[in-house]
Amino acid sequence: MTDGLPQGSNDLIQYPSQTPFTSPTCRLHPQTTCPAFVALRMLSRLEGAQPVLVTDAGCFYGLSFINHFYGARKSILAPAVGTAELSSGKLQEAALAAIEEAARDPNVSLIPVLSLCVSETAGLVEELLPRESHGKPVVLIRMPSYAVHAHPDAKDIVTAVLLRRFADTASPTEEKTLVLLGEVFAADPLMIDGVLRKMGARVLVTLPGRRIDEVRLAGRGAAVAALHPFYRESLTVLRERGVAVVGGAPSGAEGTAAWLHAVGMALELDEQLVEQVAREEEEKALRFLDAQPLKGFTVLVSGYDGNEMPYTRLLVESGAYVPYLSTSIAQSALTAADEAWLRARGTEAVVYRKTFEDDQKALLHWKFDLAFSGTTMLASYAKHHGIPAVYFTNILSVRPLFLSGGMIASISTVRELLNRRHIYRQMLDFFKE
Amino acid sequence: MRLIRDISDSSAFWGAAWVFSCFPDVHTICDMPIGCFAMLGIGVTDYTDALPYLPNFTPTVIREEDVINGTEQAVRRMFNHLRDTGKLENKSLIVLSSAESELIGADHSNLLRTLDPQARFFWSQSLEHDEWTGRDRALLFLWREYGKPYAPSAAPVPRRVNVIGPTLGCFNAPSDLHELKRLIAGAGGEVGLVYPYETTIASTPRLLEASVNVVMYREFGESLARELGRPYLFAPFGIRATTQFLYDLGELLDTPREQVETFVETEKRTTLQPLWDMWLGPQSDWFSTVNCCIVAGRSYADGLRDFLQGELGIEVVWASGQPRAEGEPDNIAIRKLIHERVPTMVFATINEQIYMAEVNSRSHFIPSGFPMPIVRRALGTPFLGYSGAVYITQEIVNRLYEMVVDFLPVDTVIRDDTPAVAGGGAGPVEEDERTMLWTDEATEKLNRAVEQIPFLGRVSAIRTMRKAAEHAARARGVKEVTVEILDETLLRRE
Repeated sequence: MTDGLPQGSNDLIQYPSQTPFTSPTCRLHPQTTCPAFVALRMLSRLEGAQPVLVTDAGCFYGLSFINHFYGARKSILAPAVGTAELSSGKLQEAALAAIEEAARDPNVSLIPVLSLCVSETAGLVEELLPRESHGKPVVLIRMPSYAVHAHPDAKDIVTAVLLRRFADTASPTEEKTLVLLGEVFAADPLMIDGVLRKMGARVLVTLPGRRIDEVRLAGRGAAVAALHPFYRESLTVLRERGVAVVGGAPSGAEGTAAWLHAVGMALELDEQLVEQVAREEEEKALRFLDAQPLKGFTVLVSGYDGNEMPYTRLLVESGAYVPYLSTSIAQSALTAADEAWLRARGTEAVVYRKTFEDDQKALLHWKFDLAFSGTTMLASYAKHHGIPAVYFTNILSVRPLFLSGGMIASISTVRELLNRRHIYRQMLDFFKE
Repeated sequence: MRLIRDISDSSAFWGAAWVFSCFPDVHTICDMPIGCFAMLGIGVTDYTDALPYLPNFTPTVIREEDVINGTEQAVRRMFNHLRDTGKLENKSLIVLSSAESELIGADHSNLLRTLDPQARFFWSQSLEHDEWTGRDRALLFLWREYGKPYAPSAAPVPRRVNVIGPTLGCFNAPSDLHELKRLIAGAGGEVGLVYPYETTIASTPRLLEASVNVVMYREFGESLARELGRPYLFAPFGIRATTQFLYDLGELLDTPREQVETFVETEKRTTLQPLWDMWLGPQSDWFSTVNCCIVAGRSYADGLRDFLQGELGIEVVWASGQPRAEGEPDNIAIRKLIHERVPTMVFATINEQIYMAEVNSRSHFIPSGFPMPIVRRALGTPFLGYSGAVYITQEIVNRLYEMVVDFLPVDTVIRDDTPAVAGGGAGPVEEDERTMLWTDEATEKLNRAVEQIPFLGRVSAIRTMRKAAEHAARARGVKEVTVEILDETLLRRE
């Protein structure tokens, strides 16, 4: 603490806490964005894609409003869908008209068709849609928000549909290559690739990406690693094609070493070389962690779409007390290892498919110095209590996270946030009633 | 089969939710899947109104089983949760249907009678109606359910003026409302309710207290004004309409005409003085050399057109209002219009901004409506009234200044250690100065390219484009500029 970092509020942290945390009985507001928005965002970022939405006006408005700002500056096409189309069986005809219009555009090379709540309820028949129009592939993706329960699931569904349709499995496997799954900061795959090369391997491609060619290429990987723990369906598609699966992510000192060993096993790399590189990475991280830069601070992590688990490992290794972690993803085999690791190190509650009410209750259950908020709802609630809170995606997803380099970048950000604590207090003092 | 591109108008449950959510003493349960809540309750409303989320708004979170069995259980569950956690205390509960719940036929009127006789169900008709009709019907519904049955029969309060005004999701509403209140006071009125934006549902019966209502937007609210049975006016745009509005309102309120005249005269020398000064200055010369297009809410589209074209003399090449009127271009046509030729100034939404980006347009985009993410909560950016006329004129002139600066030549600094060549440019100095041969086709193309650039920037722009093409030709070692070389440099410029 020689660099002017303020002291944490809990110099002597007592855990587990006095009373155990339990989820509230009233869980009113699930915290997820619309799954269809995430699907639209991924699809509209694909070069040459002309997304077609089969849905009602209000849905189209909301999705395109957010997507034009968060996804891509891409025009979106839809047939007018109202009572007439939905009740008179004209839905199919409507979808076909939009596909035809999209296909006639010379700038378009791919037509993803998103079928949303009302069209899924009314029934859109896949067999009656073309697989191609004017020689351009048409890909139907079903994304009713009443059935796909959180947006990370949507990322998995879209990735899996694209892999099934486009992954190249005819060409021979490219030896010692790893496919990465996860919307990560663009420098992360480069850093991972740099380390893999020292072990005699490389990163082949990272999905989701911007080009269909990247999806094609993914079929030729020797192994795949899901950096975020919810790509269940996508992993299944690749596993069926004989691609080996690596679990976990290279996050934190321990996590990185374990992950590099797992990659070594999957790609059948030289054991000694892997051991050496893993040790180097671990030592680099440990040198940084020696100072325990976050010791004495209590941090709430309310995540959103999957990277909160690797991220929380970093915080904990840096000395932070993270008693509560919540996420929109579902509990699964992919989350088991991280959860066990965190629970063994003081995380008392791990809430999957969380609601706003869970997070609200947790925020007052412990005394937090900082809240990473998966949603703007929680961030605003925390600020109401004068607790520094930042929207997880805005602040953390814009920095590298993995390996020792990612760790240093991310933890430095946290320290900067902790330095700003008094600002939140000051604002509250002025505005509180 | 009608196709839609980048839809401009939302649907009725959005409009209704944006009405009901204004009231602190209302809680709305919206019968919708989680996705709609994330868009309406959190995402979009943060970008239209800079609210972190709608606190008095809960979704039923329609799940697969509800689609099959109906949403009654979901409504019941949410009602119990809200009641048990005290969120319904001193609140009126409204249950609102969405496109999805309407499709599965979920009418909760009967259910609500058993749960809470005071609660009301609003069938939004979202599969048929747009957001404007949604707002209009919601306002009428509020009056009929919460106002009329409890309204006093007493005579209206003299000089009292209600504003049937903004809801959430109305572009630039705080500034426009601020100006409107100023104008009402100027005409001798006293602002009563600003309904629903700045009031409670409990005050609904008091709508009848006003002598005159001012309907802020042409796109919704008139039905309520008509049903209230008091005289009403629409909020004005531009100098002429605003002056007329002041006299009309003054007359309806029995304000002495001299009082309104004095106000107008004072306004000319204060609020409006900058407009007169810019008119006297060289700024107004430019108005005849630029043109614009407009995509915005109906009141904005009509108001801007009247002011820009009718009062400032700026050509409005085309306009499209929300809701769209017969003969106005839809987004499919608008995209084509913009791809063909972008006017100097585009008063519009994010859709048009995207179409401009698709053709690398350097025209000026002036945010004028939704959809688009924008914060307009400060009070100093009105489009309406006298202040609006000044603000718009100022905005235009500043854009023109920017344009001039943007096209002026500049020596860019190379941030490395390469020493500058004596005498300026990097190439053989003398060679660069000789007039180069241009093919006729290339010259013609250059002229056409320059026509895409506003008058103000043309002198500088043509020089820059010409030099770039000649430089490219020399670099290739050819003696004349052809269409091919010009195309290449024009592309690079973009």
